Amino acid sequence: MKLTRGLLALLAAALTQGLLSHYLPSVARRCDLFTILVVYYGLTRHQTAAMVMGTGAGLVEDSLFGAILGLNGFKKTLLGYLVGTVGSLFMLNQTIPRFGILFVATLIDPLAEMLLSLTLGQRFLFPGISELLQQGLGNGLVGLLVFWIAARVP
Amino acid sequence: MAGVLSERKPFLLLLILLTLNLGLMSSRVRGTGKGSVLENTIQGVASPFLKVASWVARGAGDLWGAYVDLRGIRAENLRLHAELDALTPKANEAEEARLELDRLRQLLDLRTQVPSPSIVARVIARGDAGGDFILTLDRGTRSGVEVNQPVITPRGVVGRIIQAASGSCKVQTILDPNSGVAAVLQRTRVQGMLIGEGARGCRLEYVSELADVEVGDVVVTSGLDRIHPKGSILGVVTEIAEGEGLTKIVRIRPEVGVRSLEEVLVVIKPESNPTQETR
Repeated sequence: MKLTRGLLALLAAALTQGLLSHYLPSVARRCDLFTILVVYYGLTRHQTAAMVMGTGAGLVEDSLFGAILGLNGFKKTLLGYLVGTVGSLFMLNQTIPRFGILFVATLIDPLAEMLLSLTLGQRFLFPGISELLQQGLGNGLVGLLVFWIAARVP
Repeated sequence: MAGVLSERKPFLLLLILLTLNLGLMSSRVRGTGKGSVLENTIQGVASPFLKVASWVARGAGDLWGAYVDLRGIRAENLRLHAELDALTPKANEAEEARLELDRLRQLLDLRTQVPSPSIVARVIARGDAGGDFILTLDRGTRSGVEVNQPVITPRGVVGRIIQAASGSCKVQTILDPNSGVAAVLQRTRVQGMLIGEGARGCRLEYVSELADVEVGDVVVTSGLDRIHPKGSILGVVTEIAEGEGLTKIVRIRPEVGVRSLEEVLVVIKPESNPTQETR
């Protein structure tokens, strides 16, 4: 049941992200539903579930939207582990802490990608501060909406 | 050993998953550009869903576009209505001006036909004395208006001046019960006296029982009253009935719509014995 839910959530995230990137690209640039999904799992599920979801979400993202298979998988796995660890140590079920985690997770993403790109000898263009802030804000707000909706799904 | 592994389970899983991803990445970086089995599988599974979602979204987008267009049309409709509302009074003013111009042009034509000097006057009031049968004009003695001067329009006789002030005058119309105009039937030259009957029109009195009168006959002024020029149209016979004694009752519908008059022509010096009829 949990696996089915996870797969459905992943599918929903992939479809929504795909549609957003096609019809509302400006929104899609400021909102990464895969990151939000991993953070959600990290804060509400066990650490291992967050990591598995991170790998799954990252690989799906790579397969559908990415250039290098495994790049987002690596980042999201790491993110799932970190958020899962933080979530197991602290009570993060309030709006502001959740927003903070979503915001920080958005910042971790390009950092991890930069390190990986350097390791793999790939070029990486670090996003500007303004773009990062917009992405953090977008992920935070959409993430809170996702948390709100998920809490009402039976 | 098992306890240590259990404690380290998440970390070990992390290492395994990261290694898996690194392996995938390195294979791609070194690879020929062909997608891996995993990548192809994920794409194969997700693509149909993406296509369906895209199809649905495109339909929704079209629907939304149609809705937005409809809203645009509605807004445009409102704007055009507002413009129409703003333009309607102007159009009415233009139409009024055009109609007034037509009337004045007709009056001017009539003025050239009338051998006596005449002036154009505007109706400024109705029914001051005796209902709608008295008109007040905006011209008076300063303009040469005097009592008993005839008032006409291109359609026919309106009445005569009964009172003249310096800047205005009053006209007793042919509808007034106290008005009497010497008249003649244009076709048979039968003479009579046109008496006003108010809103009902007029009647022709003193018409012999033996006179040749038919419905539709045109009645014109005879000029015998020395007020109205001879031959001006008064009205049309609408009804003939047996009267008392040796006369007929002849009902006349006046040609001039007194209630809707706006401009008239006051003949300053009527020709005492004009030779031509205006019709």
